[in-house]
Amino acid sequence: MENTILQMFPSAYREFWQKTAREQERLQEIRLRAGRPILLYMDGREVFLTERGDFTASAGCARCASDRELSDMLEHICHYSPYAFEEELRQGFVTVAGGHRVGVAGQAVMEADGSIRTLKNISFINIRVSHQKKGAADRVLGRMYRGGRPRSTLIISPPGCGKTTLLRDLIRQISDGNAYGSGMAVGVVDERSELAGSFMGIPQNDMGMRTDVLDGCPKEKGMLLLLRSMSPQVVAMDELGSEGELKALGQAAACGCRILATVHGESRRDVERRFGLDKAFWERLFGLFITLGKNEGKCVVRRIEEGREEIHEDFGRLHDF
Amino acid sequence: MRILGGCMIFSGCLGLGIWYRLQMEGRVRTIRSLIHILELLIGEVRYGRATLPECCSRMARYLEEPFRQAFVRIGGIMEENTGASFGNVFRQEMEGTLRSLPLKEEDREDFFRFTTQTGFMDGQMQLRAIEQGAERLQSTQEKLERENAEKCRMAVGLGAMGGLLLILVLW
Repeated sequence: MENTILQMFPSAYREFWQKTAREQERLQEIRLRAGRPILLYMDGREVFLTERGDFTASAGCARCASDRELSDMLEHICHYSPYAFEEELRQGFVTVAGGHRVGVAGQAVMEADGSIRTLKNISFINIRVSHQKKGAADRVLGRMYRGGRPRSTLIISPPGCGKTTLLRDLIRQISDGNAYGSGMAVGVVDERSELAGSFMGIPQNDMGMRTDVLDGCPKEKGMLLLLRSMSPQVVAMDELGSEGELKALGQAAACGCRILATVHGESRRDVERRFGLDKAFWERLFGLFITLGKNEGKCVVRRIEEGREEIHEDFGRLHDF
Repeated sequence: MRILGGCMIFSGCLGLGIWYRLQMEGRVRTIRSLIHILELLIGEVRYGRATLPECCSRMARYLEEPFRQAFVRIGGIMEENTGASFGNVFRQEMEGTLRSLPLKEEDREDFFRFTTQTGFMDGQMQLRAIEQGAERLQSTQEKLERENAEKCRMAVGLGAMGGLLLILVLW
């Protein structure tokens, strides 16, 4: 696999990051804070970097990131053209080659109407390393299919429990075809470039051969655009957040599309309360509800419900972190 | 023999005058090309909201040689992501191309001015940085065009007269 971690750094810093880059598979996050020790999250543990780029558990031996390093890195990530990433920076993150998400924080510049114009003096960078876990959906796929076609499915999960990873693999397998059904055209609205990890419009993750990705577009508008332009058989959307998005999904369902979506929450009840919509509404829209959670630090499928009927609990491990 | 020598001296001096004139005209033409490049870049940034390396790859399609190859190379190197900054890559590749063209050091510096001013969060600021270089080149071009007509005539005239003077002295 191509090492995409090193590519995020300008040449002057690449030697220092060599050892870290070699551990890309184990790496979850890189946190850089101006004047503070460089921190890595690897295999669920915190690790610091020494002056020579070696791993250490001691904060005392850790190298601190400088202002200059952060600004050089951000400029490099933005291809020396941060203006071209104005909208992404306003939202607080940039997706880079490899699908990694670079979150930024600093000083916000506000517009007169109270909206964020841009961020300046960026002093905090958080790189979330993208890992595509092929096969993450293997265990739930069989439950999804009825008569060779997938049912509309809602994945409910608290943050960091693998809902995007599961959705990504479901999309890939439905698109390519699998043991339970042949390949279908999938339309994905990837507002935050998290699912496909698109870079310059090209998905960095394998989304399947029949998948069309609309990157960086608001989900509500993107869904209708995809329906009109790409005639998908299945539409997918990560992190449902507004009623408008639900309405757009409803329209897709009315057009005969199957729906795959994720939403933050601990349970179905949580989701129903949050949106103020009754159980019947959700059951009209989705045929299957998958609830994810964590067990001993591992992401697990806690529950699979088919309408009102619960069919499985503690279904198994999704992936290893 | 003397007449043949005189003709050779005269044509040599006249040729020198004409070469000088061509150099001056060539400088104006090249400056015009550089302004055109910066204007294309401004268009790509303003309307395409493209990154600077992406602009170079796209602009290569519209440019003529010798600039086309240089822009293809800049786009290619930046796509490879060797870790080198855009400013350095652009300067290095373009310097090689501009070296053979009739330009003065200050013209090159005006053209490269924006490469030291990248990293703006605001598109308007980046555009302004490119526009400043273009404006300076524009003012040089206008100044040269004003002065060149006279200078070109003088160069050819002086060449011819210098040749005649030399013939008379050596006769």
